[in-house]
Amino acid sequence: MRICMVTDFFYPSIGGVEEHVFNLSQILLAHGHKVIVLTHSYGDCKGIRYLTNGLKVYYLPIKPFYNQCILPTILCQIPLIRCVLLRECIEVVHGHSAFSTLAHEAMIIGNMLGLRTVFTDHSLFGFADLSAVFTNKMLQINLSNVNHCICVSHIGKENTVLRARIPKEKVSVIPNAVDTALFTPDPSKRPTDGTINIVVASRLVYRKGIDLLAGVIPRFRHTHNIHFIIVGDGPKRDLLEEVREKNNMQNRVELIGAVEHSQVRDILVRGHIFVNTSLTEAYCMAIVEAASCGLQVVSTRVGGIPEVLPSNLIILTEPEVDSVYQGVIKALNRLAKFSNMQKGHIVETNVDKLSYRNGNVENGFTTISNSKKRKKSFDLHMRRETKNNGYLANIDNVEAVLCPYKCNEIVSTLYNWENVTQRTEKVYTRVLAEPEKSLGDLLYGYLRSKVWPFLLIISMAHVILLFLEYIRPRRYMEKLKN
Amino acid sequence: MMSVESRKRWQKCLYENAEYDDNYTDPSFLKDLKTNLNVRFFTFEEAIKGITRLNNQISCITIFLVIFYMLYSELVTPSDVLVVTGLFTSVGYIFYRGQKLFEVQYLLEDSKTLLAVLVFGYLFAPLLHRLTNAISTDTIFSMTFFVLLLNLIFCDYGLSAALVSKALSLNAAIFASICLASRLSTAFHAFVLLVESSVFFVLYPIFTTLYWRWYFLLPIFLLCCHLLYNISFNIFIIYALFTGFINIVCPCIFVAQQRYKYNIHGPWDEAIVEENTDNTINDKL
Repeated sequence: MRICMVTDFFYPSIGGVEEHVFNLSQILLAHGHKVIVLTHSYGDCKGIRYLTNGLKVYYLPIKPFYNQCILPTILCQIPLIRCVLLRECIEVVHGHSAFSTLAHEAMIIGNMLGLRTVFTDHSLFGFADLSAVFTNKMLQINLSNVNHCICVSHIGKENTVLRARIPKEKVSVIPNAVDTALFTPDPSKRPTDGTINIVVASRLVYRKGIDLLAGVIPRFRHTHNIHFIIVGDGPKRDLLEEVREKNNMQNRVELIGAVEHSQVRDILVRGHIFVNTSLTEAYCMAIVEAASCGLQVVSTRVGGIPEVLPSNLIILTEPEVDSVYQGVIKALNRLAKFSNMQKGHIVETNVDKLSYRNGNVENGFTTISNSKKRKKSFDLHMRRETKNNGYLANIDNVEAVLCPYKCNEIVSTLYNWENVTQRTEKVYTRVLAEPEKSLGDLLYGYLRSKVWPFLLIISMAHVILLFLEYIRPRRYMEKLKN
Repeated sequence: MMSVESRKRWQKCLYENAEYDDNYTDPSFLKDLKTNLNVRFFTFEEAIKGITRLNNQISCITIFLVIFYMLYSELVTPSDVLVVTGLFTSVGYIFYRGQKLFEVQYLLEDSKTLLAVLVFGYLFAPLLHRLTNAISTDTIFSMTFFVLLLNLIFCDYGLSAALVSKALSLNAAIFASICLASRLSTAFHAFVLLVESSVFFVLYPIFTTLYWRWYFLLPIFLLCCHLLYNISFNIFIIYALFTGFINIVCPCIFVAQQRYKYNIHGPWDEAIVEENTDNTINDKL
């Protein structure tokens, strides 16, 4: 198959969509398919570039207009996109992200050239505010003729079906994946003096729930062995700095700032607990990466997050300060219990699951040898919390997995790019079996969205394509060899 | 593929449903969808009572423009307008202050404010009178129309909407009065018009915010009708029909359209948490 991935979000930019497109393309190439990526220019990065394993990327000479997306014109990009799609003999145009203007434009042009189109939606949208109403209507128009749609979670599918009025049988759920070989645990990097590291890795913006985090941090100001490591940057950084200073936690709240994605793992392995406070999330790659590194995950129960990890790898909380705090306490209790087990103070009946040697439980978890002062502080905090919440009596109904290597093993079986790619290939095979749509079919599809003026744009685009076919017929176009 | 009977039950998670197609849709699809959550449906009576606030603002602007026209056409003297306005404002002030009327603290504070407004207004009246003198009359009138429209749009009608901006609304009204002041014959005329604008667009809204009842519209409406009838029968008819349309037809349409309300809510909605601002963070810490 010859596939063209189209998105406004690609390297050198860093993010979830970028990762997804790159990794999916790599495995598709490994499976013997031809894959190219179409994106806009990034500063000096323009023209054709080749990435790992010969992944060909077209950085089209179009400047981004707003928020890393190009100006939506539909008509202006036709000659460029047509040229690329025809020269590369593309069969499937695969657009990524509802925000990506280039993806939508390429899918519209692809449809008109008789190619099959697939769209992957990576985000969730509301329905009430003005921007959502506008975006949803645009999505409805653009997806009215798409052959198939992919969502990264079941909640995402529900959301897309409602937003874009797309038939539910035309929407598949294929999650993201994580490279577990890259995100491996390393318990030796964790502190050995009884310090518990709580890691947060996200953009510091409102929708990532940084206001919740700012409410949770001060509650640990008297627990001196709890440290926070916060990775990421954004407008809410000032808030966290203010909270840190007002609570005299300068030496216990580490604000690292933005880091390269390749460095995230080195920070994650320093932690015991990973906290995610997002207010909305379609999938949340961060929690999967954290679980892969062997951290206990505490996350808000929003969007698609409850679907992502099994209950033995995650503690779900409500998006409220109290609930997130209780979730962290629950994770700390698990750690305390696990630490006791390692020292031979077995507090569980099902010990047979762990290998026992010389009075120590061997499971790849570094023993936490508390200094007296820190241990006292931690124990006092635990006693106070468990008295209130009764967590130590019955920590969980599920058997929590606390061995970092076991966590990594579980995640690697749940989410891997090989599996994601195979499932995506099935979608490609399905859409290639569908008949080609005529101009009448396309116009009828767009008419269903009830935005009649859009038919004029499509008609104009068709006229431009006819003109381009006249001045530069596809039969005279030099086809690129694989 | 396993037979339908032997395969495991579908679960709403991303790691369990290997036996199902990726585009499989379970009967539980959209079971968490909630529509019209916390949506309030208004009765016709509520709609009519609610719209009176808008009509009150329209009537305010109308009376203000009528006063301008009367001063402009020399139908009344500025002194007469000032006396009548003073009487109404005094009555309003008595109602506004109520039992606190004779408390020295309030009397001093309010007297100081009144004195400052009147003195500075009177001192700057000649300047404001000449401020937009160079601009042609038709331009002034069209500008006035648009800024008073802005005043209507951004006015506070007791709703917490993003569109509400008291500052913008008030500034638009004051700007309109400064524009119109330049068309009057003397600086004293201009001063009186500025006093009127501060009464109608600053003091009166404070009073109505506190005491507004839907039936207050009747005397204001009748006063407008009386004044307009004396000026122009055609304008009186237009005003009466327009007010009727806003106060009766619009609520009818609004109530009828309510059945099409379809607010969608579900797990995809962004959770709402109180955003920490410079003010709230200090309270919490």
